[in-house]
Amino acid sequence: MFPNFRHSMAWLHTWFGLALGMVLMVVFFFGTLSVFDREIDRWAIPDTRYEPQPMPSFDKMLRPIFEDMQPDAAARAMTAPLVDGPLPAHFDTPRSWGAYTTHRDPVLLLFAGYEVPGAKDHETAIWANRTVDPRSGVALPTDRLKVGSEFFYPLHYSLTLDWKNVGYWIVGFSALMMLMALVTGVIMHRKIFRELFTFRPKKNTQRSMLDLHNLTGVAALPFHFFFAFTGLVIFAYIYFPVTHTQLTPLHDHHEMMEAKETGLPHDRAGVPAPLASVDAMVLEAQRRWAAKGMAGDVGYLNLTHVGDANGYVSVYRAGTDRVQLAGEGIHFKASTGELLREDPPPTVVARINEFLTGLHLQHFKHWLLRWFYVLGGLAGCACIATGLFFFVEKRKRQHAKAGTSGARVVDALAVTVVTGMLVATLCMLIANRLLPDTMPDGWAPRGLMEKYFFWGAWVVAGLHAWLRTAQVAEGRLAPAWREQCLAIAALAVAAPVLNWITTGDHLLRTIGSGYWPVAGADLFMLTGAVLAALAARRLQRKARSPVAVKNPALEAGHA
Amino acid sequence: MTASTLTPRHIASRTAVALLGGYAFTWGIVALGVAGLYAAGMEFHDAEHLSYIIGLLVFLTAFLVAFATRALGRTALVLVGGGALMSAVAWWLQSLLV
Repeated sequence: MFPNFRHSMAWLHTWFGLALGMVLMVVFFFGTLSVFDREIDRWAIPDTRYEPQPMPSFDKMLRPIFEDMQPDAAARAMTAPLVDGPLPAHFDTPRSWGAYTTHRDPVLLLFAGYEVPGAKDHETAIWANRTVDPRSGVALPTDRLKVGSEFFYPLHYSLTLDWKNVGYWIVGFSALMMLMALVTGVIMHRKIFRELFTFRPKKNTQRSMLDLHNLTGVAALPFHFFFAFTGLVIFAYIYFPVTHTQLTPLHDHHEMMEAKETGLPHDRAGVPAPLASVDAMVLEAQRRWAAKGMAGDVGYLNLTHVGDANGYVSVYRAGTDRVQLAGEGIHFKASTGELLREDPPPTVVARINEFLTGLHLQHFKHWLLRWFYVLGGLAGCACIATGLFFFVEKRKRQHAKAGTSGARVVDALAVTVVTGMLVATLCMLIANRLLPDTMPDGWAPRGLMEKYFFWGAWVVAGLHAWLRTAQVAEGRLAPAWREQCLAIAALAVAAPVLNWITTGDHLLRTIGSGYWPVAGADLFMLTGAVLAALAARRLQRKARSPVAVKNPALEAGHA
Repeated sequence: MTASTLTPRHIASRTAVALLGGYAFTWGIVALGVAGLYAAGMEFHDAEHLSYIIGLLVFLTAFLVAFATRALGRTALVLVGGGALMSAVAWWLQSLLV
């Protein structure tokens, strides 16, 4: 039994914070990088370093591409177990075609979903994706990994552990524990306002780590709470699949009612039909937005029940000038181009939901706000990391005396998730610049090789962390921290230099021509290199100075 | 830890109540929220979103309560029983609507 309420909250904060802090570190860091995921894509795929483009002509360019798209081997392997009998060699019935672009994307993402004959669940679809240059329609080679939007971004919400969605569940639970840590943190401290102005770097490490933990936690408290919470809301349908289990009948009932109400057919008619000019529909949609005083570009184009008499075309506006994701969708009958429906203005709840999720997903165009997101995210990382440091600092001398290795284990894990994660990230970017343009036969495709480098480097950093934290068991500072800081400093200089050598895009050129996606990535890494070098120097001085004997009494409530 | 009575069993049972009880109760809130709000005339996806937003805040509260409470057994009963009851009501509402 806990002696009292504050003790129980402090216990929760310490132990669940420790257990899930490692995951949260990954989530916050790669979430932060995801603010600029499209820019990282440009850095990693030099062939796509050109300006963002508007949605190209569907009739002339996209239609032939869609007609040519078929699921790849990976999609087939994923779908095979969902089907009785073998998969057909060619999928003939497209359920939907979609084209999606953002104001930061020079490339256009196309996806086609097909009906799967013989599927156990009639709603099963198999997907084919293709990324094209919207200026020419030429496909991006499939072995290229969009490191930002296809790796760092999913890493922050699923850890890329897609088997049974297990990564989503781990991240979801961690987000709940982040909320818990924020609430319990506030309960433990009470003097919240004072924390905002308290940082004593000259005091002993333990004290200054706690100051920094409180400062970064409190200063960005609404930010942290908001992001952990909206992250949960975005994926709530995975965590609580109520309307796809217990309430499936109600859900299906609603869909039928909705189809009746909106005039957008729920199912295919089974009668083939031609496709009218989609470009004309796009023009009409843009005319209608302009008439409402909100002229805009197309962000998302979707064709449902392709080739069928019930087919319809939905045109959504790019929501770059607002926080919500509201697309002001306009729908046309595919065979005639006749207007079927204009989405009504969103309801109050829809507005709230779109605002919450929109603020997390930030499709809007506002560079200053984007940088605030980065700062908030890094504050979150600092808060989590200092929490781990504090845990170790507080216990390492006790543990050293008692001869237990708990503090060392935690310190090794902390090194792995804090500096090791940065080492892995930089190694991946370096591999991206050094691997041959096309991998030789018998090797994994280029994009997969980059992922291997990421995980491989992380494992090596973890081993190094374990080997070089033995000193913690003697109550001293682990050299692993300083050594990995030095590694980060070196790698974070190497990556921009390699970018220069392999693409010719050095900083003078990218800044001179105002090409910020690549200049920003380079500058971000170089700034990181300077900070890592400074940290390494500081750690060296600290390692030389004698171990503080005095362990001042800390605030009550710190378990 | 200061409390000598903080046994692994105690921690395990609290964690189980916080997680499983909190999940069951939240499931109930979401199910009842969706069915109830939809029955009351709210748009289906609105009912879904609103229930999620409320449900997740309830989960956080339930989790904290499971660690703060002195009466763990009663808390478990309320969370699991309440969740089951709300789910049952949601089922009943659904049978009326569909």
